[in-house]
Amino acid sequence: MSAKKSDFRQRIAAGMADRRVIRAVHQATFHKVETVADALSLLRNHQELRDLAARIKQHTLENLPGYLEQFISACERNGTRVHFAADAAAAREIICEIARVSGSKLAVKSKSMTTEEIHLNEALEAAGVRTVETDLGEFIVQIDHDRPSHIVSPIIHKDRQQIARALVRETGCDYTEDPTELTAVARKHLRDVFRHCDLGITGVNFAVAETGTICICTNEGNGRMTTTRPRVHVALLGIEKLVPRLRDLPVFLKLLARSSTGQPLTVYTTLITGPKRPADPDGPEQVHVVLLDNGRSEILGGPFIEVLRCIRCGACLNACPVFRNIGGHAYGSVYPGPIGSLVTPLLSGIVAHAELPRASSLCGACRDACPVKLDIPGLLVKLRARTCNRQPLTKRMGMTIWKWIMRSPTMFGCVQRSMRWFLRPDRDGWISNGPGPAGEWTKVRDLPPPPKKSFHRRWREEWADED
Amino acid sequence: MKTNDGPKTGVTNDDARRDAVDAFVNSLKRRRHDAPAKTMLPEDIEIVTRLVERDEDPAALFTQTATTVGVNVHSATTADWLDVVAKLLQEHQAKDAAIPPVGDGFFEAERVEQLKQRLVADGVAAKSETDDETLFSVDMAITGVAAAIAETGTIACEARPIIARGSSLIPPVHIAVVAAEQLLPDLCDYFNVLSKRSELPADASLITGPSKTADIEGVLVTGVHGPATVHVVLVRES
Ligand code: SF4
Repeated sequence: MSAKKSDFRQRIAAGMADRRVIRAVHQATFHKVETVADALSLLRNHQELRDLAARIKQHTLENLPGYLEQFISACERNGTRVHFAADAAAAREIICEIARVSGSKLAVKSKSMTTEEIHLNEALEAAGVRTVETDLGEFIVQIDHDRPSHIVSPIIHKDRQQIARALVRETGCDYTEDPTELTAVARKHLRDVFRHCDLGITGVNFAVAETGTICICTNEGNGRMTTTRPRVHVALLGIEKLVPRLRDLPVFLKLLARSSTGQPLTVYTTLITGPKRPADPDGPEQVHVVLLDNGRSEILGGPFIEVLRCIRCGACLNACPVFRNIGGHAYGSVYPGPIGSLVTPLLSGIVAHAELPRASSLCGACRDACPVKLDIPGLLVKLRARTCNRQPLTKRMGMTIWKWIMRSPTMFGCVQRSMRWFLRPDRDGWISNGPGPAGEWTKVRDLPPPPKKSFHRRWREEWADED
Repeated sequence: MKTNDGPKTGVTNDDARRDAVDAFVNSLKRRRHDAPAKTMLPEDIEIVTRLVERDEDPAALFTQTATTVGVNVHSATTADWLDVVAKLLQEHQAKDAAIPPVGDGFFEAERVEQLKQRLVADGVAAKSETDDETLFSVDMAITGVAAAIAETGTIACEARPIIARGSSLIPPVHIAVVAAEQLLPDLCDYFNVLSKRSELPADASLITGPSKTADIEGVLVTGVHGPATVHVVLVRES
């Protein structure tokens, strides 16, 4: 545990030191925050719409078994084959088996956090299936052997020079730093892949219980390509992605793109209902949905059920002042940022990721940005409470003493007065070397000196007799 | 669950596959049994969700919203639509173009015939095939649409036995011809239409602008995988 902890601290220190990444993330997120604010201001019922989205999702989660049943039987009617995977290993096994049985050799993937969660690419490659990411950002991440750092903009941490070098190495193209030309290089390379692929793997943004429809949103069109070109389409579906009815979709679609990038709708919103009909000229002959549990049913029954409302829009990452200063890699988890600090410990173990929920200032910017009204700071505090007894003894003792002081007005007054003795400002008027345990705290922050008179005393002297 | 016949993933054994799914749903049911559901499913969602009322002029709004998302909107009438389309082909210096099948939205038999003749007269090869060879090589595709949405500047393309998904996706330029009657005010309206169908298409794609990315340093680039240029020819009754 302590080894983990120092890892985490080191990653953060490294993240804070990388000026270039900080600048890149700052630039990209600030711009986005403005566009998003503009887009949301055009929604005349923004707050009511968030409320509606939150309620529809919450209702679905509370009644999930019934909706799953509905979804599964609708899929069977449409000719979609539904599989169940209890964990990441089972999901990998199922997908590799589908690839094997269908004789697939070349798989295309459209961006999906859920497939990241199960580490699918390595498993497919090991099974002899060449697997190509087709979202531009994810493709760069893949050929650069890197990891995505944002759930919507995976290469937010890279500059154009790094991207250019990666593309030159992979495709042998001429070096250029022009984003339009770089995109054209990737397009050409990936066209060839799309033309010859035989397996398509996607995540799912929303799944409709009443019709067995899955909805996939992309801006580049790779989601639509991946569900059009290959013979076989596999959709990995976290069980929390369900909504009851087709007519619920506009509620979420209207919020998703506006909160994520400020667009009215993602460029391609694709609704898939079963494999291609026999007479359709193109489209996959087989559609498989792999229902993924991987810890979700555990969350469903507990006090963190709301977390499953998340629609992965990324708004909380863009709103977060911490994320904007260290990017996604410092989190060391598949899901970065505020939502990642909740989801990662809940899905892959609270003890192993005890530091994540603590790495937040609880300012609440994420809660205000979230289209499904997740109380992220409140839930982070709840999660922290779960690992309280794993904190170091000194910290726990400190907290006990703190509690004791805060409960007694006399003690509080005493300590307050003595603080003026202990906390001496430096020449610049700030305290940057706190005594004893406070030294840890002031290592990275400065403290203003305590005021000459306490608030209590000023109240008594200046205002108390006014009423 | 059957364990001995076939691999345990059930990929090749439908019974084993269904058993595994059912067993999971049942285990969820048992687990959630004593946790009562508190949140009601909201019924009147359209009151809050609808942004565009039915009495607004959808054509004017569509022109504005589609332009904002990067679509080139051209207005035409049933008398001059062919000229508008022909001019676009000329501007793109198209040598060949995929043409829509009869029954694709605006394109009734007579209109497809007119389009074909016009293309031939202008020296553009008209391709009605939808095989890979064609779709990966043509300079552009001309299609009809299933509907268009004024609120967001969206066109809806649905797969049908005559309509290939690839036409509105693979060629670098997409010209969609939309009849004014096909315009719906709000996204909600499209989903209401879909909900009333007895059978849904295998693929219904809402397309809002040209294919886009801002992955490289936040710079907006069009034409990543789908068309880089989308034209909508909006045709009113003359
Ligand atoms: S928690 Fe909310 S803001 Fe963050 S990604 Fe999920 S839905 Fe978006």
